[in-house]
Amino acid sequence: MREQTGTEAAVLEGTRSRGDFFKMAGLAGAGAVLGSVALAPKAFAQSGDLGIANFALTLEYLEATFYENAVNSGVLSGDALKVVTALRDHEQAHVDALVSLIKSAGGTPVSKPQFTFPSGATSSESSILNLAATLEPVGVGAYLGAAPLIQSPDVLAAAGSIAGVEGEHVTAVNNLLGNAAATLEAFPAALSKDEVLAKIAPFLGMGSMMETGGGSRRDWYRNAHV
Amino acid sequence: MGVVEDRGGPVVLDREVSRRGFLKTAAAVGAALSAAGVGGFGVAVRQVQAQSKEYTTYQGLGDVKILSFAYLLEELEGTFYDQGVKSGIFSGEALTFITDIRDNEMAHAQALASTLQKAGAPVPQTPNFTFPNGTFSDTGAFLKLAATFEPTGIGAYQGAAPALKNKDYLAAAISIHNSECRHWDAIKILQGVVPPNNVPFEKALTLQTVQSRVKPFGITG
Repeated sequence: MREQTGTEAAVLEGTRSRGDFFKMAGLAGAGAVLGSVALAPKAFAQSGDLGIANFALTLEYLEATFYENAVNSGVLSGDALKVVTALRDHEQAHVDALVSLIKSAGGTPVSKPQFTFPSGATSSESSILNLAATLEPVGVGAYLGAAPLIQSPDVLAAAGSIAGVEGEHVTAVNNLLGNAAATLEAFPAALSKDEVLAKIAPFLGMGSMMETGGGSRRDWYRNAHV
Repeated sequence: MGVVEDRGGPVVLDREVSRRGFLKTAAAVGAALSAAGVGGFGVAVRQVQAQSKEYTTYQGLGDVKILSFAYLLEELEGTFYDQGVKSGIFSGEALTFITDIRDNEMAHAQALASTLQKAGAPVPQTPNFTFPNGTFSDTGAFLKLAATFEPTGIGAYQGAAPALKNKDYLAAAISIHNSECRHWDAIKILQGVVPPNNVPFEKALTLQTVQSRVKPFGITG
Protein backbone atom coordinates (compact mmCIF):
# COMPACT_ATOMS: atom_id res chain seq x y z
CA MET A 1 0.00 0.00 0.00
CA ARG A 2 2.81 2.33 0.94
CA GLU A 3 4.24 2.43 -2.55
CA GLN A 4 0.84 3.30 -3.94
CA THR A 5 0.48 6.42 -1.87
CA GLY A 6 2.30 8.55 -4.39
CA THR A 7 0.18 7.27 -7.24
CA GLU A 8 -2.94 7.91 -5.30
CA ALA A 9 -1.96 11.42 -4.47
CA ALA A 10 -1.14 12.10 -8.09
CA VAL A 11 -4.47 10.73 -9.24
CA LEU A 12 -6.49 12.72 -6.79
CA GLU A 13 -4.47 15.83 -7.32
CA GLY A 14 -4.87 15.65 -11.06
CA THR A 15 -8.59 15.13 -10.76
CA ARG A 16 -9.03 17.90 -8.29
CA SER A 17 -7.03 20.54 -10.04
CA ARG A 18 -8.72 19.98 -13.35
CA GLY A 19 -12.12 19.95 -11.69
CA ASP A 20 -11.32 23.17 -9.91
CA PHE A 21 -10.26 24.74 -13.15
CA PHE A 22 -13.59 24.06 -14.77
CA LYS A 23 -15.50 24.93 -11.66
CA MET A 24 -13.78 28.29 -11.65
CA ALA A 25 -14.34 28.74 -15.33
CA GLY A 26 -18.00 27.96 -14.88
CA LEU A 27 -18.52 30.27 -11.98
CA ALA A 28 -16.51 33.09 -13.45
CA GLY A 29 -18.74 32.83 -16.47
CA ALA A 30 -15.99 34.15 -18.65
CA GLY A 31 -14.51 31.31 -20.61
CA ALA A 32 -17.16 28.86 -19.59
CA VAL A 33 -17.77 27.11 -22.83
CA LEU A 34 -18.33 23.43 -23.15
CA GLY A 35 -15.59 23.18 -25.71
CA SER A 36 -13.06 23.81 -22.99
CA VAL A 37 -13.99 20.54 -21.34
CA ALA A 38 -12.83 18.62 -24.36
CA LEU A 39 -9.53 17.29 -23.19
CA ALA A 40 -9.83 14.10 -25.12
CA PRO A 41 -6.30 13.25 -26.04
CA LYS A 42 -5.81 12.01 -29.52
CA ALA A 43 -3.99 9.04 -28.09
CA PHE A 44 -7.27 7.17 -27.87
CA ALA A 45 -8.05 7.78 -31.51
CA GLN A 46 -5.48 5.36 -32.85
CA SER A 47 -7.06 2.28 -31.49
CA GLY A 48 -10.65 2.47 -32.70
CA ASP A 49 -13.75 1.31 -30.88
CA LEU A 50 -12.54 -2.23 -30.36
CA GLY A 51 -9.24 -1.01 -28.99
CA ILE A 52 -11.01 1.33 -26.62
CA ALA A 53 -13.37 -1.42 -25.50
CA ASN A 54 -10.46 -3.77 -24.88
CA PHE A 55 -8.63 -1.08 -22.95
CA ALA A 56 -11.74 -0.57 -20.85
CA LEU A 57 -11.97 -4.32 -20.38
CA THR A 58 -8.46 -4.37 -18.91
CA LEU A 59 -9.44 -1.68 -16.44
CA GLU A 60 -12.60 -3.53 -15.48
CA TYR A 61 -10.62 -6.74 -14.99
CA LEU A 62 -8.25 -4.85 -12.71
CA GLU A 63 -11.08 -3.44 -10.62
CA ALA A 64 -13.06 -6.67 -10.52
CA THR A 65 -9.99 -8.64 -9.43
CA PHE A 66 -9.10 -6.17 -6.72
CA TYR A 67 -12.62 -6.09 -5.30
CA GLU A 68 -12.91 -9.86 -5.46
CA ASN A 69 -9.70 -10.06 -3.40
CA ALA A 70 -11.07 -7.40 -1.06
CA VAL A 71 -14.37 -9.18 -0.47
CA ASN A 72 -12.54 -12.48 0.08
CA SER A 73 -10.00 -10.93 2.45
CA GLY A 74 -12.38 -11.16 5.37
CA VAL A 75 -11.35 -7.77 6.73
CA LEU A 76 -14.48 -5.95 5.59
CA SER A 77 -17.74 -5.78 7.47
CA GLY A 78 -20.85 -3.65 7.74
CA ASP A 79 -21.38 -0.87 5.21
CA ALA A 80 -17.88 -1.24 3.76
CA LEU A 81 -18.53 -4.88 2.93
CA LYS A 82 -21.84 -4.00 1.29
CA VAL A 83 -20.32 -1.19 -0.76
CA VAL A 84 -17.31 -3.23 -1.88
CA THR A 85 -19.42 -6.29 -2.69
CA ALA A 86 -21.53 -4.10 -4.95
CA LEU A 87 -18.36 -2.70 -6.52
CA ARG A 88 -17.17 -6.22 -7.28
CA ASP A 89 -20.50 -7.25 -8.75
CA HIS A 90 -20.68 -4.14 -10.92
CA GLU A 91 -17.16 -4.44 -12.26
CA GLN A 92 -17.76 -8.10 -13.06
CA ALA A 93 -20.96 -7.15 -14.87
CA HIS A 94 -18.97 -4.55 -16.82
CA VAL A 95 -16.41 -7.20 -17.72
CA ASP A 96 -19.14 -9.50 -18.99
CA ALA A 97 -20.80 -6.73 -20.95
CA LEU A 98 -17.57 -5.57 -22.57
CA VAL A 99 -16.53 -9.11 -23.49
CA SER A 100 -19.86 -9.57 -25.19
CA LEU A 101 -19.73 -6.20 -26.89
CA ILE A 102 -16.28 -6.92 -28.29
CA LYS A 103 -17.30 -10.36 -29.50
CA SER A 104 -20.49 -9.11 -31.08
CA ALA A 105 -18.42 -6.52 -32.95
CA GLY A 106 -16.21 -9.28 -34.29
CA GLY A 107 -13.27 -8.52 -32.03
CA THR A 108 -11.25 -10.62 -29.64
CA PRO A 109 -11.47 -9.68 -25.97
CA VAL A 110 -8.13 -9.37 -24.21
CA SER A 111 -7.56 -12.09 -21.67
CA LYS A 112 -7.47 -11.20 -18.03
CA PRO A 113 -3.96 -10.05 -17.12
CA GLN A 114 -2.10 -11.25 -14.05
CA PHE A 115 -2.38 -8.30 -11.75
CA THR A 116 0.05 -7.37 -9.04
CA PHE A 117 -1.24 -5.53 -6.01
CA PRO A 118 0.88 -3.78 -3.41
CA SER A 119 1.48 -5.86 -0.32
CA GLY A 120 -1.11 -5.03 2.27
CA ALA A 121 -3.58 -3.81 -0.36
CA THR A 122 -6.34 -5.92 1.15
CA SER A 123 -5.06 -6.18 4.71
CA SER A 124 -7.40 -3.60 6.20
CA GLU A 125 -10.59 -1.76 5.43
CA SER A 126 -8.67 1.47 5.12
CA SER A 127 -6.12 0.09 2.65
CA ILE A 128 -8.91 -1.36 0.52
CA LEU A 129 -10.91 1.85 0.48
CA ASN A 130 -7.88 3.97 -0.27
CA LEU A 131 -6.88 1.88 -3.25
CA ALA A 132 -10.49 1.84 -4.40
CA ALA A 133 -10.54 5.62 -4.15
CA THR A 134 -7.45 5.66 -6.35
CA LEU A 135 -8.73 3.24 -8.98
CA GLU A 136 -12.25 4.57 -9.47
CA PRO A 137 -11.33 8.05 -10.78
CA VAL A 138 -8.93 6.37 -13.20
CA GLY A 139 -11.83 4.36 -14.62
CA VAL A 140 -13.97 7.48 -14.88
CA GLY A 141 -11.16 9.45 -16.50
CA ALA A 142 -10.52 6.71 -19.02
CA TYR A 143 -14.14 6.53 -20.13
CA LEU A 144 -14.46 10.32 -20.27
CA GLY A 145 -11.27 10.60 -22.28
CA ALA A 146 -12.26 7.85 -24.67
CA ALA A 147 -15.91 8.79 -25.20
CA PRO A 148 -15.43 11.50 -27.85
CA LEU A 149 -13.29 9.10 -29.88
CA ILE A 150 -15.83 6.29 -30.00
CA GLN A 151 -17.36 5.96 -33.44
CA SER A 152 -20.28 3.63 -32.84
CA PRO A 153 -23.21 5.21 -30.99
CA ASP A 154 -24.03 1.81 -29.49
CA VAL A 155 -20.54 1.44 -28.04
CA LEU A 156 -20.74 5.02 -26.82
CA ALA A 157 -24.08 4.36 -25.15
CA ALA A 158 -22.60 1.39 -23.31
CA ALA A 159 -19.50 3.36 -22.31
CA GLY A 160 -21.64 6.19 -20.96
CA SER A 161 -23.71 3.77 -18.94
CA ILE A 162 -20.64 2.19 -17.37
CA ALA A 163 -18.79 5.49 -16.87
CA GLY A 164 -21.66 6.85 -14.81
CA VAL A 165 -21.58 3.84 -12.54
CA GLU A 166 -17.87 4.38 -11.96
CA GLY A 167 -18.74 7.95 -11.02
CA GLU A 168 -21.18 6.65 -8.42
CA HIS A 169 -18.41 4.40 -7.14
CA VAL A 170 -16.12 7.39 -6.65
CA THR A 171 -18.66 9.00 -4.36
CA ALA A 172 -19.66 5.83 -2.52
CA VAL A 173 -16.06 4.86 -1.73
CA ASN A 174 -15.05 8.34 -0.68
CA ASN A 175 -18.13 8.56 1.52
CA LEU A 176 -16.75 5.69 3.58
CA LEU A 177 -13.52 7.67 3.88
CA GLY A 178 -15.39 10.82 4.88
CA ASN A 179 -14.56 12.58 1.60
CA ALA A 180 -17.79 12.34 -0.39
CA ALA A 181 -18.30 16.08 -0.71
CA ALA A 182 -14.97 16.42 -2.51
CA THR A 183 -16.25 14.12 -5.25
CA LEU A 184 -19.21 16.37 -6.10
CA GLU A 185 -17.53 18.05 -9.03
CA ALA A 186 -19.29 19.86 -11.84
CA PHE A 187 -16.92 18.54 -14.50
CA PRO A 188 -15.14 15.31 -13.57
CA ALA A 189 -11.84 15.09 -15.37
CA ALA A 190 -10.98 13.10 -18.47
CA LEU A 191 -7.65 11.31 -18.64
CA SER A 192 -5.53 10.54 -21.67
CA LYS A 193 -4.73 6.95 -22.51
CA ASP A 194 -1.12 7.50 -21.50
CA GLU A 195 -2.20 8.96 -18.19
CA VAL A 196 -4.44 5.98 -17.53
CA LEU A 197 -1.73 3.57 -18.51
CA ALA A 198 0.73 5.23 -16.18
CA LYS A 199 -1.75 4.88 -13.33
CA ILE A 200 -2.36 1.19 -13.90
CA ALA A 201 1.17 0.18 -14.90
CA PRO A 202 2.12 -0.70 -11.30
CA PHE A 203 -0.63 -3.32 -11.29
CA LEU A 204 0.49 -4.97 -14.52
CA GLY A 205 3.37 -7.38 -14.06
CA MET A 206 5.85 -8.39 -16.74
CA GLY A 207 3.96 -11.63 -17.17
CA SER A 208 0.96 -9.93 -18.62
CA MET A 209 3.10 -7.89 -20.96
CA MET A 210 4.78 -11.00 -22.26
CA GLU A 211 1.44 -12.65 -22.68
CA THR A 212 0.33 -10.04 -25.16
CA GLY A 213 3.59 -10.17 -27.03
CA GLY A 214 5.21 -6.94 -25.94
CA GLY A 215 8.34 -6.26 -23.99
CA SER A 216 7.70 -2.64 -23.27
CA ARG A 217 4.63 -1.01 -21.91
CA ARG A 218 3.90 0.57 -25.25
CA ASP A 219 4.21 -2.74 -27.05
CA TRP A 220 1.89 -4.32 -24.56
CA TYR A 221 -0.56 -1.60 -25.23
CA ARG A 222 -0.36 -1.75 -28.99
CA ASN A 223 -0.58 -5.49 -29.18
CA ALA A 224 -3.41 -5.70 -26.74
CA HIS A 225 -5.57 -3.13 -28.38
CA VAL A 226 -5.22 -3.26 -32.10
CA MET B 1 -46.70 12.86 -9.00
CA GLY B 2 -45.72 10.48 -11.72
CA VAL B 3 -42.19 11.72 -11.51
CA VAL B 4 -41.76 10.27 -8.07
CA GLU B 5 -43.22 6.91 -8.91
CA ASP B 6 -41.59 6.58 -12.27
CA ARG B 7 -38.12 6.15 -10.87
CA GLY B 8 -36.14 3.55 -12.69
CA GLY B 9 -35.22 0.87 -10.21
CA PRO B 10 -31.81 -0.67 -9.95
CA VAL B 11 -30.97 -2.96 -12.79
CA VAL B 12 -30.36 -6.37 -11.35
CA LEU B 13 -27.86 -8.49 -13.13
CA ASP B 14 -27.30 -12.14 -12.69
CA ARG B 15 -23.71 -13.10 -12.41
CA GLU B 16 -22.35 -15.27 -15.12
CA VAL B 17 -23.02 -18.86 -14.21
CA SER B 18 -21.17 -20.55 -16.96
CA ARG B 19 -19.98 -18.52 -19.87
CA ARG B 20 -18.89 -21.51 -21.86
CA GLY B 21 -22.13 -23.32 -21.24
CA PHE B 22 -24.11 -20.27 -22.17
CA LEU B 23 -22.29 -19.70 -25.40
CA LYS B 24 -22.73 -23.32 -26.42
CA THR B 25 -26.38 -23.18 -25.61
CA ALA B 26 -26.86 -19.90 -27.35
CA ALA B 27 -25.20 -21.18 -30.45
CA ALA B 28 -27.43 -24.20 -30.52
CA VAL B 29 -30.74 -22.74 -29.52
CA GLY B 30 -30.35 -19.12 -30.46
CA ALA B 31 -30.98 -15.78 -28.90
CA ALA B 32 -34.40 -16.75 -27.61
CA LEU B 33 -32.80 -18.45 -24.67
CA SER B 34 -30.90 -15.33 -23.79
CA ALA B 35 -34.08 -13.32 -24.00
CA ALA B 36 -35.66 -15.79 -21.63
CA GLY B 37 -32.92 -15.08 -19.13
CA VAL B 38 -30.84 -18.20 -19.48
CA GLY B 39 -27.28 -17.32 -18.65
CA GLY B 40 -26.29 -14.25 -16.67
CA PHE B 41 -23.83 -13.37 -19.37
CA GLY B 42 -26.66 -12.78 -21.77
CA VAL B 43 -28.52 -10.75 -19.20
CA ALA B 44 -25.57 -8.44 -18.63
CA VAL B 45 -25.17 -7.94 -22.32
CA ARG B 46 -28.79 -7.28 -22.87
CA GLN B 47 -28.85 -4.69 -20.11
CA VAL B 48 -26.18 -2.68 -21.85
CA GLN B 49 -27.57 -3.19 -25.31
CA ALA B 50 -31.06 -2.35 -24.14
CA GLN B 51 -29.71 1.08 -23.30
CA SER B 52 -28.13 1.66 -26.62
CA LYS B 53 -31.09 2.81 -28.67
CA GLU B 54 -32.55 5.66 -26.63
CA TYR B 55 -30.21 8.03 -28.43
CA THR B 56 -32.20 7.64 -31.63
CA THR B 57 -34.97 9.73 -30.05
CA TYR B 58 -32.57 12.70 -29.80
CA GLN B 59 -31.04 12.34 -33.24
CA GLY B 60 -33.41 14.60 -35.11
CA LEU B 61 -33.02 17.50 -32.70
CA GLY B 62 -29.59 18.79 -33.57
CA ASP B 63 -26.94 19.90 -31.11
CA VAL B 64 -28.40 23.30 -30.27
CA LYS B 65 -31.78 21.92 -29.28
CA ILE B 66 -30.18 19.20 -27.20
CA LEU B 67 -28.05 21.78 -25.38
CA SER B 68 -31.06 24.05 -24.90
CA PHE B 69 -33.05 21.21 -23.38
CA ALA B 70 -30.12 20.28 -21.15
CA TYR B 71 -29.89 23.91 -20.06
CA LEU B 72 -33.53 23.85 -18.92
CA LEU B 73 -32.95 20.63 -17.00
CA GLU B 74 -29.97 22.20 -15.25
CA GLU B 75 -31.97 25.32 -14.45
CA LEU B 76 -34.69 23.13 -12.96
CA GLU B 77 -32.20 21.23 -10.83
CA GLY B 78 -30.25 24.35 -9.86
CA THR B 79 -33.45 26.11 -8.77
CA PHE B 80 -34.61 23.06 -6.85
CA TYR B 81 -31.35 22.67 -4.93
CA ASP B 82 -31.03 26.41 -4.36
CA GLN B 83 -34.44 26.45 -2.71
CA GLY B 84 -33.38 23.40 -0.72
CA VAL B 85 -30.28 25.19 0.52
CA LYS B 86 -32.31 28.29 1.43
CA SER B 87 -35.15 26.35 3.05
CA GLY B 88 -33.19 25.89 6.25
CA ILE B 89 -34.23 22.25 6.61
CA PHE B 90 -30.72 20.92 6.00
CA SER B 91 -27.66 21.13 8.19
CA GLY B 92 -24.28 19.48 8.58
CA GLU B 93 -23.15 17.05 5.90
CA ALA B 94 -26.54 17.11 4.17
CA LEU B 95 -26.32 20.87 3.74
CA THR B 96 -22.80 20.51 2.39
CA PHE B 97 -23.94 17.93 -0.18
CA ILE B 98 -27.00 19.92 -1.26
CA THR B 99 -24.95 23.11 -1.56
CA ASP B 100 -22.24 21.39 -3.60
CA ILE B 101 -24.83 19.84 -5.89
CA ARG B 102 -26.53 23.20 -6.38
CA ASP B 103 -23.22 24.79 -7.29
CA ASN B 104 -22.52 21.97 -9.76
CA GLU B 105 -25.92 22.33 -11.44
CA MET B 106 -25.47 26.07 -11.75
CA ALA B 107 -22.00 25.59 -13.22
CA HIS B 108 -23.52 23.16 -15.74
CA ALA B 109 -26.24 25.67 -16.65
CA GLN B 110 -23.73 28.46 -17.03
CA ALA B 111 -21.44 26.39 -19.23
CA LEU B 112 -24.38 25.37 -21.41
CA ALA B 113 -25.58 28.97 -21.71
CA SER B 114 -22.11 30.14 -22.72
CA THR B 115 -21.87 27.40 -25.30
CA LEU B 116 -25.24 28.28 -26.78
CA GLN B 117 -24.22 31.92 -26.99
CA LYS B 118 -20.95 31.01 -28.61
CA ALA B 119 -22.89 28.96 -31.15
CA GLY B 120 -25.03 32.02 -31.88
CA ALA B 121 -28.12 30.38 -30.44
CA PRO B 122 -30.53 31.95 -27.94
CA VAL B 123 -30.41 30.87 -24.32
CA PRO B 124 -33.92 29.68 -23.41
CA GLN B 125 -35.97 31.68 -20.97
CA THR B 126 -36.04 30.03 -17.58
CA PRO B 127 -39.60 28.96 -16.80
CA ASN B 128 -41.27 29.58 -13.47
CA PHE B 129 -40.76 26.19 -11.98
CA THR B 130 -43.36 24.71 -9.68
CA PHE B 131 -42.68 22.06 -7.08
CA PRO B 132 -45.14 19.97 -5.09
CA ASN B 133 -46.36 21.37 -1.80
CA GLY B 134 -44.15 20.39 1.09
CA THR B 135 -41.04 19.84 -1.02
CA PHE B 136 -39.00 22.38 0.92
CA SER B 137 -40.39 21.78 4.39
CA ASP B 138 -39.43 18.15 4.79
CA THR B 139 -36.03 16.62 4.11
CA GLY B 140 -37.56 13.25 3.21
CA ALA B 141 -39.83 14.81 0.57
CA PHE B 142 -36.98 16.89 -0.81
CA LEU B 143 -34.62 13.93 -1.08
CA LYS B 144 -37.30 11.77 -2.64
CA LEU B 145 -37.79 14.37 -5.36
CA ALA B 146 -34.02 14.77 -5.74
CA ALA B 147 -33.79 11.00 -6.20
CA THR B 148 -36.11 11.33 -9.21
CA PHE B 149 -34.45 14.39 -10.71
CA GLU B 150 -30.98 12.87 -10.73
CA PRO B 151 -31.72 9.68 -12.69
CA THR B 152 -33.81 11.81 -15.06
CA GLY B 153 -30.85 14.08 -15.74
CA ILE B 154 -28.56 11.08 -16.00
CA GLY B 155 -30.92 9.38 -18.43
CA ALA B 156 -31.21 12.54 -20.53
CA TYR B 157 -27.47 13.09 -20.92
CA GLN B 158 -26.82 9.41 -21.47
CA GLY B 159 -29.55 9.23 -24.07
CA ALA B 160 -28.56 12.43 -25.83
CA ALA B 161 -24.77 12.05 -25.78
CA PRO B 162 -24.48 9.67 -28.76
CA ALA B 163 -26.75 12.00 -30.74
CA LEU B 164 -24.44 15.00 -30.36
CA LYS B 165 -22.50 15.73 -33.53
CA ASN B 166 -19.95 18.10 -32.02
CA LYS B 167 -17.35 16.04 -30.17
CA ASP B 168 -16.48 18.88 -27.80
CA TYR B 169 -20.10 19.01 -26.70
CA LEU B 170 -20.06 15.25 -26.32
CA ALA B 171 -16.98 15.39 -24.09
CA ALA B 172 -18.68 17.98 -21.91
CA ALA B 173 -21.99 16.11 -21.82
CA ILE B 174 -20.36 12.89 -20.71
CA SER B 175 -18.46 14.75 -17.98
CA ILE B 176 -21.65 16.43 -16.76
CA HIS B 177 -23.36 13.03 -16.89
CA ASN B 178 -20.71 11.72 -14.50
CA SER B 179 -21.28 14.67 -12.20
CA GLU B 180 -25.01 13.86 -12.10
CA CYS B 181 -24.24 10.23 -11.27
CA ARG B 182 -22.19 11.39 -8.29
CA HIS B 183 -25.10 13.58 -7.22
CA TRP B 184 -27.46 10.63 -7.34
CA ASP B 185 -25.09 8.63 -5.19
CA ALA B 186 -24.85 11.50 -2.68
CA ILE B 187 -28.64 11.75 -2.52
CA LYS B 188 -28.89 8.01 -1.90
CA ILE B 189 -26.30 8.38 0.88
CA LEU B 190 -28.46 11.06 2.50
CA GLN B 191 -31.46 8.76 2.14
CA GLY B 192 -29.57 6.08 4.04
CA VAL B 193 -29.45 3.66 1.12
CA VAL B 194 -26.77 0.99 1.75
CA PRO B 195 -24.93 0.45 -0.46
CA PRO B 196 -25.65 3.73 -2.27
CA ASN B 197 -23.84 2.39 -5.33
CA ASN B 198 -26.67 0.03 -6.15
CA VAL B 199 -26.87 0.35 -9.95
CA PRO B 200 -24.54 -1.71 -12.17
CA PHE B 201 -25.51 0.16 -15.35
CA GLU B 202 -26.89 3.69 -15.58
CA LYS B 203 -30.07 3.92 -17.61
CA ALA B 204 -30.51 6.09 -20.67
CA LEU B 205 -33.95 7.62 -21.18
CA THR B 206 -35.76 8.57 -24.36
CA LEU B 207 -36.44 12.22 -25.05
CA GLN B 208 -40.14 11.58 -24.58
CA THR B 209 -39.67 10.01 -21.16
CA VAL B 210 -37.55 12.91 -19.98
CA GLN B 211 -40.05 15.42 -21.34
CA SER B 212 -42.95 13.76 -19.58
CA ARG B 213 -41.04 13.62 -16.30
CA VAL B 214 -40.12 17.30 -16.23
CA LYS B 215 -43.36 18.68 -17.64
CA PRO B 216 -45.11 18.83 -14.22
CA PHE B 217 -42.38 21.21 -13.03
CA GLY B 218 -42.79 23.71 -15.85
CA ILE B 219 -40.55 22.58 -18.70
CA THR B 220 -42.81 22.37 -21.68
CA GLY B 221 -40.23 22.40 -24.46
